Amino acid sequence: MDILVYGIINSISLALVALGFALVYGISRLPNFAHGALYVVAGFLTWSLARAAGINYLLSMLCAMLLTGIMGAMIYRFLLIRVRGMAISEIIASYAMGLAILEGLRWWGFKGMTYTLPPFVEGSIMVLGVPVDYHRLLVVVIGAGVVLVLWLFTHQSRIGLALRGMAQDERAALMLGIDSDFMALLAMGFGSMLAALSAVLLLPLGNIVVEEGYNILILAIAVCIVGGLGSWMGAVLAAFLIGFAQIITVVYLGSHFQMVVAILAIIITLILKPSGLFGKQKELEERV
Amino acid sequence: MKLAKLLTVAFLTAVALFAFCFPATAASGKPIVLGCPLSTAFLYGWDAERGIKLAVEEINAAGGVDVGGQKRPFKVEVMDTRDLEPGVPVSEALLVVEKLILEKNADFIMGGPVRSEAALAAMDLLSKYKKVSIVTTGVLTPKYHARVGKNYDKYKYCFRITGEAKWMVGGEIIPCLLGIGKKFNLNRLFIMIQDVAHARAGGKIIAKIMAKKGWNVLGQEIYPTGTSDFSMGLLKARRKKAQVILIWMDMPQTSILLKQWYDLKIPALPFGSIISAAEQPGFWKATEGKGEYCLANVVNAGNAPCEATPWTMKFYNAYTKRWGIEPEGYGTSSSYMAPYVLKAAIERAGSLDPEAVIKALEQTDMMGVYGRIRFDPKTHQVIPSLYPKKGAVGTIFQWQAGKRVVVFPKSIAMGEIKLPPWMMK
Amino acid sequence: MAEQRRKERIDRGIKVRADSIYALMSLKEISYLTLPRLILIVGFLLLPILMPSAYWQRVISITCIYALLALSFDFLAHYVGLVSLGGAFFIGVGAYIAAVGNTSLGLPIYLTIPLATLGGGLICTLLLLPCLPLRGVYFAIVTLMYPLAMARIIEALDIFGGTDGIMGVASFPVWWIEQYFVILALLGFLFGMRRLVNEDIGLVFRAVKDNDQAVRASGINITYYKALAVFIASAMGCLGGACLTHIYMWAGISQFALDFSILPIAATVIGGGGTLAGPVLGCLILVPISELLRAFGTLRIVFYAAVLMGFVVFRSEGLMVYGERKYHQFERWVKV
Repeated sequence: MDILVYGIINSISLALVALGFALVYGISRLPNFAHGALYVVAGFLTWSLARAAGINYLLSMLCAMLLTGIMGAMIYRFLLIRVRGMAISEIIASYAMGLAILEGLRWWGFKGMTYTLPPFVEGSIMVLGVPVDYHRLLVVVIGAGVVLVLWLFTHQSRIGLALRGMAQDERAALMLGIDSDFMALLAMGFGSMLAALSAVLLLPLGNIVVEEGYNILILAIAVCIVGGLGSWMGAVLAAFLIGFAQIITVVYLGSHFQMVVAILAIIITLILKPSGLFGKQKELEERV
Repeated sequence: MKLAKLLTVAFLTAVALFAFCFPATAASGKPIVLGCPLSTAFLYGWDAERGIKLAVEEINAAGGVDVGGQKRPFKVEVMDTRDLEPGVPVSEALLVVEKLILEKNADFIMGGPVRSEAALAAMDLLSKYKKVSIVTTGVLTPKYHARVGKNYDKYKYCFRITGEAKWMVGGEIIPCLLGIGKKFNLNRLFIMIQDVAHARAGGKIIAKIMAKKGWNVLGQEIYPTGTSDFSMGLLKARRKKAQVILIWMDMPQTSILLKQWYDLKIPALPFGSIISAAEQPGFWKATEGKGEYCLANVVNAGNAPCEATPWTMKFYNAYTKRWGIEPEGYGTSSSYMAPYVLKAAIERAGSLDPEAVIKALEQTDMMGVYGRIRFDPKTHQVIPSLYPKKGAVGTIFQWQAGKRVVVFPKSIAMGEIKLPPWMMK
Repeated sequence: MAEQRRKERIDRGIKVRADSIYALMSLKEISYLTLPRLILIVGFLLLPILMPSAYWQRVISITCIYALLALSFDFLAHYVGLVSLGGAFFIGVGAYIAAVGNTSLGLPIYLTIPLATLGGGLICTLLLLPCLPLRGVYFAIVTLMYPLAMARIIEALDIFGGTDGIMGVASFPVWWIEQYFVILALLGFLFGMRRLVNEDIGLVFRAVKDNDQAVRASGINITYYKALAVFIASAMGCLGGACLTHIYMWAGISQFALDFSILPIAATVIGGGGTLAGPVLGCLILVPISELLRAFGTLRIVFYAAVLMGFVVFRSEGLMVYGERKYHQFERWVKV
């Protein structure tokens, strides 16, 4: 029973983290390797606003999300737009940006383990006979809500449909008058906001440290690869797969294998089926 | 334009750093260079940096070190090794040690490298360049002083003034656990450790010994560095009705573990053999008090307030005044002692010659911040004890009502261990 | 109507005169062709002697090891079309084989290095074999994951010394062997690779990069050639790893660190991809500057990342390509 409950919690956390990355790649085929850095930046921004400047917690969260979104859009507008289309250059440029941000934060003084965010609600409750703390329950609820809102947004609203159009076929979208660069800008902005959202939801569970940025990037890549680069629902499903796989490994195999599971998942998926679970099957594009 | 701005910032930073690096010299004479390879962006790096700098400032203000009649000041050269960062190879740390020795002409190496891997690898370098080194923080592995003992002639340059895992386990953790067991009638132990050599070895030994002493060891969970979810482990502990959870992790995710422990109200006492998140004074505020009742081991006394020796509180208050924060981490008091111990050894030897200083260090016998400081002549490890008058004393403290209260060893305890209220039912 | 001008770029006179056999016309033409290469070789050979202190000599050795990695990355990426983000994997495997060979099997240093190079190349190729059919981004990500996976596996299974690593590995017997072995290996591989890519097999490699379907249609087994290329590249990386182990007398899981994967890529970007000498040049610039900036602490990494970003975005051709162009051609304004 605890495997079920905590499996769901772990999976939704992974899905939240990966959705930003999946969104950006799905729409504009930009691997945003600065994702982890934006996650950490959002955390520190919230901390600075909420703790240091003493602004209302909810307001600082929203401000941090907005600022991170703008930061992501700026990264696109001034950096990535110049290397658009060259996959490896995009990876290197965005990774270098992420590195600069993370190490810059460390240089600025954000070191040590005392940077934390307060959880939304204290206390715990019994769910199906398993004790769960309120904050984790909230994460699950909000996470599920985010997935739902994202689905509705991309299927009902005009901008969302435009984004989906871009993801399906860039040429056709261009012919219909959808501006590719502007859509990519929006995608980066939204992706960064999602990264910030997952940061403010998940960081209160522990503390904010710069190393977390690197871990988050690996997890996001793992989930997106397994789910198929470019498919949002694939990312969610893959999050559940990896999340449950990790929990089951901990319970039955031994906790020290959980990191290996995530990385092996990436390698095995890429060897067997590079487009992942739900990726668009472009056979010739992915393997010879 | 952008490049010019970047260069200006860099230049100003360099100037600022230079200004900080200049110690206040009240003594004349060529300075004795102390090379400190430390991971300055991490707790176990800056705790050593601050301890060493404080001691050096005090020594220089009092006149410096008497080397065969001439008074010379200490000069601290700190260099960032980044060796506590996960993605950085240990060869970086070794390069820094070499830079300090070959370029900065360090006379002695002090402080690090901090990561056990790097420190072990650096031993060969130190023996090659014949530089005396005193490790003052990090490096918990017993392999360090075991290697010195096995090959004295090669590794005699390496000294360690901070505690290590073997004594911590046998001399402090086990007796403390037994004491808790007797006091509160507990005997069910659950172990959660990080997947690093010293934690794994320590956890295995603790499990074996506690089982022999009649305790029920309910399980051992090993977590790779970077794990951010401990739910299954905590639930297992709860299900098996564990009464004490032994934690041995130095990664920042320990705060996730403790927060969840508090929220789920697991009826077990979190006993930290090493639990880095809880060692900083800022821990209480950072977790809004959820870290209460957590025990942490800070390896050397003086890192939490107590009255081990007359020097302890003097150091504690001097540190707090100088850096604006109480000692944090477990390398502070030992890093503070190292320059003083070295000063005494140099004055005894009358010169900076490594062989002479080594012999003089082996004769060290002073009442320091955390007890009587003596090195084992064969392994160059500081001799530990439970009594400050006999040897170097460790410290286990518990967070109670926002304060770090030293609870073990009895000889320096400032308070009693308390159980969380939800356990008392 | 105003006069209109355009910029014209044409070969230099001396380049035309030094084409094929006419290079033997006079000393000027010969030196035009050979001087850059001579400067490179002589410069490298003189470096350990010119360095002011033993610390800087160590930096040169480290630079050469990184240069070997950068060479292998450039070869794979620009001549075979396989972008490998996992240089650390080669270094780690080479390092561990050399260390185990030396400590457990008791082999002397002149046996462990060849064993690590060839054996390591073989093991890396076998492990990467399932991934060879992948292309582009997928291959890049898989190779990025390999060193991370190896590090975690060694950590989880606690083999080969686990998190402590293997210590007490023998070091090079004499100072000048330690210095010159790596330099000579680097120069040998650099010129060897430049020759290789112009041989028949090099043509097949380049064809695989351009259009692998066409190569397949010609009845050539692509996987075999890709495996061969990976073997050569990983042998270079493993050699670097073995040298690193013997220089520092130690091997551990931190040799699978991300740093070893990132720096060769940065060096290639800055030095100029596709020229094989560019990455070496890039390493020669990056590593010493990185050491010089150590005084700035963490800011040095920010600098480094900023420089990398700048080069990727603004000057992605790299220094060597730019230099070659300037050396061989000149530009001028002409009337339209």
